[in-house]
Amino acid sequence: MADALAMLWLPFLAAVCLVAIHTWFGIQVLARNIVFVDLALAQIAALGATVAFMLGHAAQGGASFAYSFAFTLAAALLLAFTRQWAGRVPQEALIGVIYVMAAATAFLLVDQAPQGAEHIKQILTGNILTVGGDDLILIAPLYAMVGIVHALLRNQLTSPQSGWWWDFFFYASFGLVVTSSVALAGVLLVFSFLIIPAAIGLLYAERLSRQLAIGWAAGSLASLAGLVLSYCLDLPTGATMVCVFGAALAAAGIVWPLRGGSAEKLRSAGAIVRCAFAVMLALSGLWLMTAPRADQPLVDVAEYAVPRLRSAYMREVELETWRDADDHAERYRREAERLNQREAQSRWHGKPLAEGEVRRISSFLKSYAEMRNGEEFVKREVRARARERTRWVLGSGLILLGLAVAPWWRNGRKASEVLRDKHGELS
Amino acid sequence: MKARAAQAALLVLSLSAFAANALAQQRLLVVATTTDLKSLAEAVGGDQVLVTSMVPPAMDAEDYQPRPQDLGRLRHARMVVRVGLDYDLWLDRLLRQANNPALLRGADGYVDASFAIALLDVRGSAVGPQGGHAHGSGNPHYWLDPANAQIITATLLEALARLDPANAKNYEARRLAFLDRLAPKLREWEAALSGVQGKPMLAYHNSWAYFARRFRLNIAGTIEVKSGIAPSPAHLALLLRTMREMRIKLIVKQPFESEKYPAFLAAKSGGAVVVLAASVGALPEAADYFALFDYNIKALSTAVRASKD
Repeated sequence: MADALAMLWLPFLAAVCLVAIHTWFGIQVLARNIVFVDLALAQIAALGATVAFMLGHAAQGGASFAYSFAFTLAAALLLAFTRQWAGRVPQEALIGVIYVMAAATAFLLVDQAPQGAEHIKQILTGNILTVGGDDLILIAPLYAMVGIVHALLRNQLTSPQSGWWWDFFFYASFGLVVTSSVALAGVLLVFSFLIIPAAIGLLYAERLSRQLAIGWAAGSLASLAGLVLSYCLDLPTGATMVCVFGAALAAAGIVWPLRGGSAEKLRSAGAIVRCAFAVMLALSGLWLMTAPRADQPLVDVAEYAVPRLRSAYMREVELETWRDADDHAERYRREAERLNQREAQSRWHGKPLAEGEVRRISSFLKSYAEMRNGEEFVKREVRARARERTRWVLGSGLILLGLAVAPWWRNGRKASEVLRDKHGELS
Repeated sequence: MKARAAQAALLVLSLSAFAANALAQQRLLVVATTTDLKSLAEAVGGDQVLVTSMVPPAMDAEDYQPRPQDLGRLRHARMVVRVGLDYDLWLDRLLRQANNPALLRGADGYVDASFAIALLDVRGSAVGPQGGHAHGSGNPHYWLDPANAQIITATLLEALARLDPANAKNYEARRLAFLDRLAPKLREWEAALSGVQGKPMLAYHNSWAYFARRFRLNIAGTIEVKSGIAPSPAHLALLLRTMREMRIKLIVKQPFESEKYPAFLAAKSGGAVVVLAASVGALPEAADYFALFDYNIKALSTAVRASKD
């Protein structure tokens, strides 16, 4: 617990800072319909840093930052000017072009100096887990400053009648924020910070202040959940957080049609869910009947979650064989691990193993791996045969289960009608 | 008179150009996937071979993207040398495309340098095609044990002698000279690292198994558990705990590996990060196979001495 806290509190603070500024920018970006602008600006900043690196400047010095920022300003100028032809060609097209050009140019440059590959990768794949106190001291005032200036000038910034220099100011300040945030958290996570809290805010509120408040709350909660989940499940942090943000948006999207919470709405939502389940079950049943030896996602997941389900379709002999193979596979794995550990230990501790001994161990390890593969094959084969034998019963059972779950009649109305109404409401 | 002299000069010139050309053509063209194998192939082949390597030094060979020129090189080469053990899997596809029957698996020109190496860290099964059987592939960084150079050069010698029997004697002599140079060096390196024996350290990627075995180093953990996937916070917390408990003050990484995690762990534990070259040319100081170890051993012993003070 103490370990977890020590590991996660700085990343959480950083995530809150990032969510705070990016939700604001996200609302602007969504209003302007330029969703991928942060990727383009981040890539341009990376290109600038790469150029600085190629010219012999230190990787994380003032010169590197100056180059990044100069490149970002140039891109901001370009973006500000091209808003005029946004009527004929969507601005998103230009943003995409800037992104791929910057990425490709950086790759070509880096190809000349392989040591730079890591450098450019680092600019774009920051990791929020390694954020330090010194990073926070730099970004918190910067974001606060940008936030205050934007709050004071928000009328000019949001009005579509403002001149191009306001656009330029918007892109330049956004570039400044993105350059630092991407280096800290990586492209994927920053994109989630930018779009998802803002989208949730827009979904649930009309006024800007409420949109911001909802976005901040949702973003901070999702960050906390993502960090904790990545710690508990032992998963890479950035990717976990992105998935949690995505799940948050999905949950918000599912709940949105139900806001207000009338009984009719809830019931029709229930019908949709049950319908989806019914279709899934019936399809799995059909799939099991047609290809019992193929991957059976639903049956496999159910079996993985509740291993006892196996006894539902395997005979006692088959179960016995399956368990035996499973035990042996595990035993071989443990044995191999023990040998590996013994060898690794002997590299520095005690008497060194002779060459012949190492060879013996490695050929043992290969045999264990082969034997384990054999046992895994037995497990798969036993299961496949049992499924083949019982496919008609199991498959029709699944289909029947699907039929039972399906929402046939509801208050005298057919589910299909409810669905059709629902569809009309949504569209 | 003048015209005749000019003619003669021209003749001499064209003849010598022809001779030079013929000499270049006589040199056996060898393509190695990495700079380490190139360095060893040159040690055996000398000026009778012309070796090029595909992966630029200091790049991660495991996710190298082949260039169009690689295909051309393979088409004209008589021998290809690979690390094997799923380290340079991309070569298989390239060989199929190059359509040079002399280099296909099983042909005389195909050399898998991992042949006969005593493998470490054999876990699970190989992904690559291994002649029908799925052998468990081991840790592929075997060239980092200088004693393995004996086996690798023997494999290279055998292949070269098969392709170019006329020069077999030369290849053999050159290999022996290389081994004569290696033996005292190995003793010198072992002596230089005697103070580091058993001292626990972390590595970024599990690249140092053979190196650690030869020089009796204790790599107590790796930052990257799965290649290319960022470590989870729980794994980092575990590493920090290990660092505290075992008093680990040293983190080893390659130039192309992320600076962030090693710097993060070093800052939290008061340790130092040492950049070592895992292949020839990865750092300017590691210009050939000997310089590679000279540099790494010096860097490591200096860092250990500094961490003591």
